[in-house]
Amino acid sequence: MTNLKERTMTDADDMANNNGRRRMWMMFSGIGIIMISGAISGYLSQRDAQGDGPLTTLDVSILDLFAAVILLLAFLIWKLFQQTKQSGERRPRRERLNNRIIWGCGIFGGIIGLALALTDNIGTANEPSLFASGPISPVLAVILAGAIGVVLPAITFYWHKHVVDEQEEAAYRAGALIAIYAFWFVAPVWWLLWRGGILPSPNGVALYFMTAFIALIVWSWKKYR
Amino acid sequence: MKNQLKVLRAMRSWSQADLGEHLDVSRQAVNAIETGKYDPSLPLAFKISRLFALPIEEIFDDEFEGAHND
Repeated sequence: MTNLKERTMTDADDMANNNGRRRMWMMFSGIGIIMISGAISGYLSQRDAQGDGPLTTLDVSILDLFAAVILLLAFLIWKLFQQTKQSGERRPRRERLNNRIIWGCGIFGGIIGLALALTDNIGTANEPSLFASGPISPVLAVILAGAIGVVLPAITFYWHKHVVDEQEEAAYRAGALIAIYAFWFVAPVWWLLWRGGILPSPNGVALYFMTAFIALIVWSWKKYR
Repeated sequence: MKNQLKVLRAMRSWSQADLGEHLDVSRQAVNAIETGKYDPSLPLAFKISRLFALPIEEIFDDEFEGAHND
C-alpha cells in the first residue's frame, strides 16, 4: 500500500498541475499588460491635457519602464504558452471546451477594447482612456452594447449550463461574493469621501473594473491554485 | 475532507485527467478534491462511489467520526 501511495501522483498529473498554474499566470500577465497599457495611455493623456509640451527625460524613462514591463509580461506569456504546448497534456472534454470559450471571450473582449481605444479621443480627455466617458458614434455604441448585452450573456449561459463543473462554479461563487462585498464597501466610501471634498466624484467604470478584476483574480486562484 | 481518491485512482493507473473524463469534471476539480481543497457535492460523491463500486464513507473520511473511532 505504501508503494501505491507513493505512485499516486503520476508524471501526467504533475505536468497537468504545472499547466494549470501556467494558465493562471498567463491570465494574470495578460491582465497586467492591459493595465500597464491603460497606465501609459492615461499618462500621455494627462500630459497632453496639461499642455506639458515635449517629453522630458523623466517622461521617457517612465514610459520605457512601462514598455519594458509589458515586453517582460509578453515574453512570460509566450514562454508559458510554449511550455504548456510542449507538455502534450491530455485534458477532459469539458476542460477543452472551457479553455476554448475562455480564449474566445478573451479575444472578443480584446476586440471590443481595441474598437473603443481606436475610436476614443485619446489625448484630449482629462482621464485615462480606460475610464473615458466621451461620446462615440451611435452605430458603434449599438454594436458594442449588443455584443456585451446579448452575445456575451448567451455565451455565459451556455458556459454555466454545459461547460463549467461544480468546482469551478464554487470558485465563481467565491469570486462573486468577494467582488460584491468590495463593491458594497468601496462605492459608498468613495461617495462619502467625494462628498467630503477629499476624492473626485465616484467613477462607475472604475468601480465596474475593480469588481470584475477582483472576481477574476479570486476565481482563477480558487480554480487553478 | 480527506479521501482515498488518489489511491483508488492509482490502483487503476488513471491520471487525474482520466478520472476527470470518467466523472465529467475538469482535472482541476479532481486535483482540488484529492488535495482536500474542495469537497464534492452529494451527487458527485455518489458518482465517485458508483465509479469505484465502494460506499461513500470508504472513499471519504469524516475526520470527526474518525477521531471517535480511534
